[in-house]
Amino acid sequence: MLAENISSKSSDSQSRSLKQWLRQAFTPTRLLDLLPIFILGIVLALLALYVPTFFNSRNIVNIFVQASTLGLMAIGMTAVMVGGGMDLSIPSVMALSAIFGAMRMEAGGSILESCLIMLVVGCVAGCINGYAVAYLKMIPFVVTLAMMTIASGTAIWITNSVSVPVVNEEFFSIILDRIFDIPRPILIMVVMVVIATIAFKRTMIGRWLYAAGTNAKTARVSGIPVDRVIFGTYVLSGFFAGLTAIILSARLGAASANLGNDGVVLDIVSSAVVGGVSIYGGVGSPLGAVLGAIFMTVISNSMNMMQVSFFTGLIIKGIVIITFVAIDSLKKR
Amino acid sequence: MATPYLEMRGIVKRFPGVQAVKGVDLQAYAGEALALIGANGAGKSTLMNILGGVLRPDEGEIQIAGKRVEIHSPLQATANGIAFVHQEMAMLPTMTIMENIHVSSFPTRGGLIDRQSMERSTQAVLDRVGCQFAPNTRVQYLSTGDRQMVEIARALLSKPSIIIFDEPTSSLTSREKARLFDVIRSLKADGVTIIYITHFLDEIFDICDRATVMRGGEHAGSGLLKDLTIPALVHWMIGDLDMTQHAKKEVSQSTEVVLKVRNLNRRGILQDINLTLHKGEVVGLWGLLGSGRTEVARAIVGLDPIDAGQIEVNVGGSLRLVKAREAHKWIGMVTEDRRNEGLLLPMSVKQNMSLANLRGLLTRWKLVDTRRETALAQQFVERLNIVISRLGQPVQTLSGGNQQKVVVGRWLELNPPIFFMDEPTRGLDVGAKADIRDIIFELAESGAAILLISSEIEDIMALAQRYVIMHRGQIIGELPGSATRSDLMAAAVGAVPTAETGVTA
Repeated sequence: MLAENISSKSSDSQSRSLKQWLRQAFTPTRLLDLLPIFILGIVLALLALYVPTFFNSRNIVNIFVQASTLGLMAIGMTAVMVGGGMDLSIPSVMALSAIFGAMRMEAGGSILESCLIMLVVGCVAGCINGYAVAYLKMIPFVVTLAMMTIASGTAIWITNSVSVPVVNEEFFSIILDRIFDIPRPILIMVVMVVIATIAFKRTMIGRWLYAAGTNAKTARVSGIPVDRVIFGTYVLSGFFAGLTAIILSARLGAASANLGNDGVVLDIVSSAVVGGVSIYGGVGSPLGAVLGAIFMTVISNSMNMMQVSFFTGLIIKGIVIITFVAIDSLKKR
Repeated sequence: MATPYLEMRGIVKRFPGVQAVKGVDLQAYAGEALALIGANGAGKSTLMNILGGVLRPDEGEIQIAGKRVEIHSPLQATANGIAFVHQEMAMLPTMTIMENIHVSSFPTRGGLIDRQSMERSTQAVLDRVGCQFAPNTRVQYLSTGDRQMVEIARALLSKPSIIIFDEPTSSLTSREKARLFDVIRSLKADGVTIIYITHFLDEIFDICDRATVMRGGEHAGSGLLKDLTIPALVHWMIGDLDMTQHAKKEVSQSTEVVLKVRNLNRRGILQDINLTLHKGEVVGLWGLLGSGRTEVARAIVGLDPIDAGQIEVNVGGSLRLVKAREAHKWIGMVTEDRRNEGLLLPMSVKQNMSLANLRGLLTRWKLVDTRRETALAQQFVERLNIVISRLGQPVQTLSGGNQQKVVVGRWLELNPPIFFMDEPTRGLDVGAKADIRDIIFELAESGAAILLISSEIEDIMALAQRYVIMHRGQIIGELPGSATRSDLMAAAVGAVPTAETGVTA
């Protein structure tokens, strides 16, 4: 009798704690966070019904490879956005880096040399953006928009809109080979996410970044070198543009000004916002941004397979962005 | 006894997780001023926001002139003759007084703004509060006190029968305060019902007739002020908490200089600032609002640029010349603007507290040691008696006093040799104020040098061992810790307290 009493009590408290757990686990903000997964579920269900070929392993690997370059750029964007900024120049800087690297390789430069050039071009562009935003206190949107036109203008000018071929089997195999059947671009992305996550969440500079993005004044009063941190985020996004240039030039076997077309910026911003990075600064994670990139790639890929036209696709992507920016501002309230 | 003009009965307001107002009654009479007092978080603001139509009560009713009224929006509040003079003035500085006053409902004629009628009505209310300036003056050229008057004028525009004043004197000089009180007296004479919210208990005896005290969302007591005393009010406010006053700390014997500032200049703001802080002393930087007190502190730590000046900090026993920005490494800075400059509001208590000390929390691998971060935060939460539910709680959900302790705790974690405390007790209730004073006292005891800036004379008198007097961007003299209240008042308005004039004892 007594034992029964006790056991019923304990199960009672268990169910209460379960309820509590559920209430905590599914707060309205948490539900909003889970919305992308919910949408992804619907999209995948639709695909299973109408485009079963979507699920063959070649297509899945293909999606991840595509998502890897978008994801890398989204990590760079996350750094900038967490700091409260915006970098619209990522794709065009990426294209310009790829062109410089490809031209060096064409002129007989070594693989290492060409890759370094691509990284350096990205970082230099990032330094200029960062200096203008952090030290000259210019508006990020305007600075990076200008950098975007400068980079893409330069790219078109030096290539005459002709793509620069990359024909170096060794380079291809270094960048694209598979390890345990997984293409290296995916592994590079995974490694970068791990490093970025640790850097964002566990290093002092990462913590400073979140503080600066949440409230720059408070960060300053607390002795944090806010300007240097913000400068660094743009250099980092330039670095990731360079890294993406390396992978993409290998994958496409060419570099052209067209790599950084307008649609790519939109995809990067969408990836970050869908992944929970706030445009208001201070909130977001590299992992979220990469998951966002995978989400965006699945959407694009499935629309291709369902033979949705390119322009309809643009409309859908635009709606996705607006929806998630709306969610972001709802959470802010 | 006359019937009350305004009566609130059994008002209840719940927020998720807390019941902010628990069945409160309130009566206010025409032609009288009712002081509404209580510690932070006592529910005063919530109650008044209900009256002002900003919040809807969950239970209870409101009667005005014996009739039950429903107030569901600020507009309905205005329609019922209720006006609110807010503490934080929301003005558009580039617009004129008359535009600011009418901004929510411009008078129009034929679809265009009717400037003449706007000017006329503005002039009328400005005259009413005794302001001399023209209706088309831009608000940016007005002093804080004048802006407050404009704010009151705006409230008068709707010819209200009930006016709520929320901490109207917190940023006023004593002359401006006298002017405000004249206005309130004349409003009372016209039969207006005044509700006066304040932390300054002494001033309510000058201007109010009755007091209602709230504590923890409940009605703690009411009465005619002529029958009440400050201790009685304080007892209602804080219950049986004992209010021990500090004996002022003995003047420290240490002559070790920890900070020396020479000829600090910032054009138009600061002129030839010379300042020395010794180990273990509390120096009160005293002066009027706008005398440059805050600016001195900000310039030394490099938050504001300087044009000239030398800053020396004691590093390992000897003074070393440092750049302004560098000085911040040795100085813990508690700013006057807690919400906008002191805290990362959406972030956790723990992260707010570790913010200045991350460098000290790094492991061998240059990662932040989260276990130590938690332990240290826990330690200071306990030491400072911060009331929180968990270390991960966002600081924006804490009360003002606990938020301020988090800011102080952040610097205690870093443990610098120098602290700048700018208005550390602003907006805090009696209990939290006493806690902050204790903390400052202990810090000095443990050898830190503290530069204390405060507009509240009780605070500064309780703690400072000497006073440095500021006036119009200059340091005009010093007073010893024994200076009296009247010495300080005289000094603040520029009566230079030098040894020759013998102002001090």
